[in-house]
Amino acid sequence: MFKKRGMLLSGLVATILFIGGCNNETSTNEEEGAIQVVTTISQIGEPLSVIGGDRVKVESLMGPSVDPHLYNATQGDISTIEGADLIFYNGLDLEANMVEIFESISKNKPVLAIGETLSEDKLLEEEPGVVDPHIWFDIDLWKLALEAAVEELKKYSPEDSDYFNDNMESYFAELDALNEEAQEQISQIPEKHRVLVTAHDAFGYFGNKFSMEVIGLQGLSTEDEIGVSDINDTIAIIKEFEIPAIFVESSIDSRTINSVIEGAKSDGIDVELGGELFSDAMGNPGTEKGTYIGMYRHNVETIYNALK
Amino acid sequence: METVLKVENLSASYRKNTVLQHVNVNIDSGSLTAIVGPNGAGKSTFLKTILNLHPSLTGSVSYFGQPLSKVKKQVGYVPQRGSVDWDFPTDALDVVTMGLYGQIGFLRRPKRSHREKALAALEKVGMSDYANRQISQLSGGQQQRVFLARALVQDAELYFMDEPLAGVDAATERAIMSILKELKQLGRTVLVVHHDLQTVQDYFDHVLLLNKTVIKHGRTEKVFTNENIISTYGGNIQLLKEGQGHVVHTLH
Amino acid sequence: MWSILSTSNTQWVLFSATILGIAAGIVGCLSYWKKQSLMSDALAHAALPGVVITFLIIGEKNLFFLIIGAAISALLGAFFIQWVQSSTRITEDTAMGMTLSVFFGLGIMLLTVVNRTAGGNQSGLDSFIFGQAAAMVRSDVNTMLALAFFVILIVIAGFKEWKLYLFDPSFAKGLGLSLSLMNVLYTTVLVTTIVIGIQAVGVILIAALLIIPSVSARYWTQKLKTMFLLSACFGGISGAIGTAISAIGRGWPTGPFIVVVAALFFIISLVFGKEKGILLKHLQFRKQQKAHSQEIGHHPVFQKEGK
Repeated sequence: MFKKRGMLLSGLVATILFIGGCNNETSTNEEEGAIQVVTTISQIGEPLSVIGGDRVKVESLMGPSVDPHLYNATQGDISTIEGADLIFYNGLDLEANMVEIFESISKNKPVLAIGETLSEDKLLEEEPGVVDPHIWFDIDLWKLALEAAVEELKKYSPEDSDYFNDNMESYFAELDALNEEAQEQISQIPEKHRVLVTAHDAFGYFGNKFSMEVIGLQGLSTEDEIGVSDINDTIAIIKEFEIPAIFVESSIDSRTINSVIEGAKSDGIDVELGGELFSDAMGNPGTEKGTYIGMYRHNVETIYNALK
Repeated sequence: METVLKVENLSASYRKNTVLQHVNVNIDSGSLTAIVGPNGAGKSTFLKTILNLHPSLTGSVSYFGQPLSKVKKQVGYVPQRGSVDWDFPTDALDVVTMGLYGQIGFLRRPKRSHREKALAALEKVGMSDYANRQISQLSGGQQQRVFLARALVQDAELYFMDEPLAGVDAATERAIMSILKELKQLGRTVLVVHHDLQTVQDYFDHVLLLNKTVIKHGRTEKVFTNENIISTYGGNIQLLKEGQGHVVHTLH
Repeated sequence: MWSILSTSNTQWVLFSATILGIAAGIVGCLSYWKKQSLMSDALAHAALPGVVITFLIIGEKNLFFLIIGAAISALLGAFFIQWVQSSTRITEDTAMGMTLSVFFGLGIMLLTVVNRTAGGNQSGLDSFIFGQAAAMVRSDVNTMLALAFFVILIVIAGFKEWKLYLFDPSFAKGLGLSLSLMNVLYTTVLVTTIVIGIQAVGVILIAALLIIPSVSARYWTQKLKTMFLLSACFGGISGAIGTAISAIGRGWPTGPFIVVVAALFFIISLVFGKEKGILLKHLQFRKQQKAHSQEIGHHPVFQKEGK
């Protein structure tokens, strides 16, 4: 009887693995001679695919709603990495479980932690000794980081330097426009509402840039378990600042934020769910929100609409 | 003499070994029967199987002409002492009261009358002073007596006991045997898996020699012969005094 | 500081954890006397793949179905343990260890797959492992109340039947008590407690609440009813104090503190327990030693006596 059950179980497991594995299969239609670039988060990958144009083929390992803090690479990922020409990741301990892999690959291939190319004074330290890795929310910093990646591209394929430079220029112009747009919208939020409460401390750089107070329920890494005091403190702040809305994140269980809202309401504090923000991951590839710019814009709009 | 227990072609296995086969036996009412045989002969398994505590492979068992399920109230069972954890937090009276749970009924609590019956049973086995003693504090013999009281309180027609005299002190042995004799006088039937060949003739009027199957069964004076004993034990015994029927079971 | 304890969230977590602790304490006693305490841990771990597979099948986080999936998986684990024991020479604790590792490993592997798909992380399936005790809300209080009511009802209604079943199952069967019914009830109550527990506080914590309070209670009494009561108390109080401490502290995770408080209860019971506590045993021993040496001193053999 066990044989039957065992076969059924293994059959089920194999099927599930196959389906799961299928999701990660990339199209094997390689453009002839295109540079194979592998990144971790799409915030790196998508912009690079724009800047690199048809000279690069970019694959991001971590898709929508994947949490990079907790992500563990599979054998499939490792072969993808091994098949790449260039590898970029954020670093600063964002992809906490992949550091060793990158270190060992870096012996054979060009690997760059683009976040770590920034000078220390630009980085935020949440707690002493712990650097906040979520740098992509500061467009200026992100431009610097992306530039470092593009430098690698140029080094790898010098004949495409001009091509890359042109693309980068026009892309960065868009980023600058986005930056201004965001600045304008956020500044329209009344000052006392400029508090951003989310599931974890992903928006430090955002808040820093746009003079918003930022509070994360869970701390810098989603590995921490929250305590009742975290929830109580958050509600106290919501009450003190009369914050109209707080936000869930696309890559994190919304349960914690929801319990904050329910608890606040029960204590007579009016706070709404402002919407879902993209924090560590972006939207579905091929959609507006699957692009860095689209994602950023969505965040800004959502925040603005909820807090204005 | 009516047959109170009829076993036909019973067989049973225990962990891939066949420990009982072709067991056929009829037990008459009012008999006090010892079941003896070497270790591993299937004596305990025999008891458990006919009580539906162990699955049988073949055969049928009837009590007073009926299946066990219909006459459960007429059957009392005293299991081996080692079958429970005596560290369990309960006292002697409580254990004896358990014998009445069948009568008390599901979801009901024991009444005073039940407690009194239990106390009376304890008295019978000489343990009334120990009614509120934790069973972990009882000696082997005392534990055995508590088990006996638990069976007695059911006031059954037919009793099965699994090695009730093993490892008990002399006083307990005397107490138990006097109760068994009393039961016999009341016309009840008792089957006892007995460990000590020395005392079979003194205590039991019938004997069932068992070694995977019935070697011989019948009145002790007829059946408990050296020859039968030797066939049961497969030559693993030494007769101490020939002709006097005293045998000694060698350590195997 | 006390105002912290009166916020809605604190109260919800407090009540949920306390009630869950009470229910788990009671069920834990059943497991203890069935000599299957480790089973609770094994089954809690075995529930994980069920949760993940259910999520993969229905594609969304529907708590009701996830719990059913968890229950099925835990039950499969229980059957597996039984089967291994009956068909091989492997002992019960080995069988439990095997099942625990295999099922849990499978669950982790599947979780990795899920976390790579869209909506995976959001489903919060990870929280089934370590739990998010702090995020419990009013509906959790209601769920725990229902659970506790169910557990208490079943245990109290048939208390003498449980006593008999746990003490001497063969005799029970002989009396006509259906062992299969009792087994089913036991498994039902255990698995229900486990799956409701893990969706709130995770695998680790529910196993702790099922095992520690009953073991601690053992050191204080020789009466079964009292043991159940004490176990429920220890479980409930651990939930309450653990929550209170984590509410008062800054950023202290709730679940772990509940376990720590429970463990403290155990250590106190181990040392100071009235029955078989280490300290008392030691003091008793010393007393006896003293009495004995005085006795020997007076024993005629040791008296100097001219023969």
